[in-house]
Amino acid sequence: MEITPLPFDRELNLQELLTGVSLERLGGILKALLGGDFRLVGADGRCLLGSEEPYAQPRRAEIHHDLDLLGQLESASADETRLSATAAMIELMLRLSARYHMAAELHIETVHEDFAALQQKHAALTESEARYKALSGELEARVREQIKIIESAQRQLYQAEKLASIGQLAAGVAHEINNPIGFIRSNLSTAQQYVSKLGALESVMQTGNMSQFQSAWKEAGMAFLLEDFTALLGESVDGADRVTKIVSDLKGFSNVDQAEAEIVDLNDNLRFACNMLAGQTRDRVELVMELGILPKIMCLPGHLNQVFLNLLLNAAQAIADQGRIEVRSEVAGSEIHIRISDNGCGIPEKNLDRLFDPFFTTRQVGSGTGLGLTVCRDIVQAHGGRIEVKSKEGMGTTFTVILPAG
Amino acid sequence: MAEFDEVNRKITIKLVYYGPAQSGKTTNLMRLHDLLAPDLKGEIMTLETQNDRTLFFDLLPLGFRTPSGWLVKLKLFTVPGQVAHDATRKAVLSRADGVVFVADSQRSQSVNNAESFQNLEENVQRVGMDFSHMPLVVQFNKRDLPEAQIFSEDEIMQRWSQTPWPLVFSSALVGEGVRETLFKLLEQVYPALDRLFGLQQKHGVGQQAFISAVLGD
Repeated sequence: MEITPLPFDRELNLQELLTGVSLERLGGILKALLGGDFRLVGADGRCLLGSEEPYAQPRRAEIHHDLDLLGQLESASADETRLSATAAMIELMLRLSARYHMAAELHIETVHEDFAALQQKHAALTESEARYKALSGELEARVREQIKIIESAQRQLYQAEKLASIGQLAAGVAHEINNPIGFIRSNLSTAQQYVSKLGALESVMQTGNMSQFQSAWKEAGMAFLLEDFTALLGESVDGADRVTKIVSDLKGFSNVDQAEAEIVDLNDNLRFACNMLAGQTRDRVELVMELGILPKIMCLPGHLNQVFLNLLLNAAQAIADQGRIEVRSEVAGSEIHIRISDNGCGIPEKNLDRLFDPFFTTRQVGSGTGLGLTVCRDIVQAHGGRIEVKSKEGMGTTFTVILPAG
Repeated sequence: MAEFDEVNRKITIKLVYYGPAQSGKTTNLMRLHDLLAPDLKGEIMTLETQNDRTLFFDLLPLGFRTPSGWLVKLKLFTVPGQVAHDATRKAVLSRADGVVFVADSQRSQSVNNAESFQNLEENVQRVGMDFSHMPLVVQFNKRDLPEAQIFSEDEIMQRWSQTPWPLVFSSALVGEGVRETLFKLLEQVYPALDRLFGLQQKHGVGQQAFISAVLGD
């Protein structure tokens, strides 16, 4: 604001009241009215208009405005009447001028006041805007911070989820391996006895006495021993093969984090995941597999194993004591459909929409992270596929993993 | 705040008529112009809109010369009463030495009176004056209206008796009470001026003389 307002009601002098009036024109008019030279003099004696030189014996008329004597009109030639009439006309003009001045300056004063108020408001607004900006910046930073925390917590939970399923897996595997290792071990100790028996026969054989050797052979039951030895070795080889298979299955899992894409037949992954599950649930869950012929696809098998295992574990957990899980695979158009169905407890309708939400779990606190299905969905989506679910409470649930076949 | 002009030997005093729209502030000034006969009386300057409502202010200058040869000039202003003109009201009020609050006696106007009085109190503080020490007279105008339309004097007295300000009943239209209102205000304004400028001591003007000179008794 350039204009600094002056008080509108201040006392105005003659010079101020004449601003805005063309002095040249006024001079010409006064000269004509007064019939010659004149002087318009302010209260301080300064000449504002007309002849600079004072007259020797002038006629004077006072110029008043609002009780104040503002100046004099002097003339050497005009008569009294003309001079006082002219002075009265100047007073009239000054009143109009004062009226305008006061109104204008009052207007400026109020505008200035309004403007100052606006500026204050603006400053206050700017300040609050800055505060909000800072606040929102802070908030964003805090949100980012929180997201980081949540993401890292999610990662940790995801790891925990994986570890939990791997832990379950390990328990099952230990059980699976324990059985063949057990009978291999007992077979081996039997084999040790058989070998020592054979060792004893050798000394008899060294004598070269055939009949003595034959009777010792019979006595030692060598016919049975050889038969049994062959059988137990065969059994042990089978057992060792079983352990080898379990170990190679385990390898399929242990390379989950080595995200190497491979071309695989998903049926192999399904079989392997079912084997994992079977070890833990054989006594209470009947596992039925109906695997169709599938085209091989490029995928991250370790990750898909995790998906199938998670779905199978969920299915097994839905079954309270005895039940059945069916695993089917087939090609449908350009898609591979893998269905994992159980006849367990089913999922309440109200939970269906939230099933894949992170941290949504119906399990006891501490026994489920609520990330299992989230992870499944993420992995399947990363493969360009989707997961569908159908469920009826008390009847069972079917999850369908749909992946592009090409 | 009264002005003291050593060069022109002049003391200028500002009095303001405040109040709700159409309570009779301009009429007060018109009547004073007609009734008073001070040494010096200027013409009324009115700045009004076409429908007779004050837009900026009205101004009536009154004055007298002291025995010491000084000019004492009183400028009586009115403010625009309409709510919308608050900034103008505030500017006119600033630097006032005393205020007359012109209230409308009509029952229908009691809310407007109250709001305007509150607005006066706020604006006095906004322009940096002390409301509790400011010379103020409360005038209840329009007593000439039918009794049914207006609050009775008793009702008004009851309501205002607890306040420290003099109360005057007037009919500005008829000319009753306007002089008395100014008289009561000058009674309050004089002591402050005397303290500031030594009216009695330096200029030989006592309170009686001061009031008489302004009213022209």
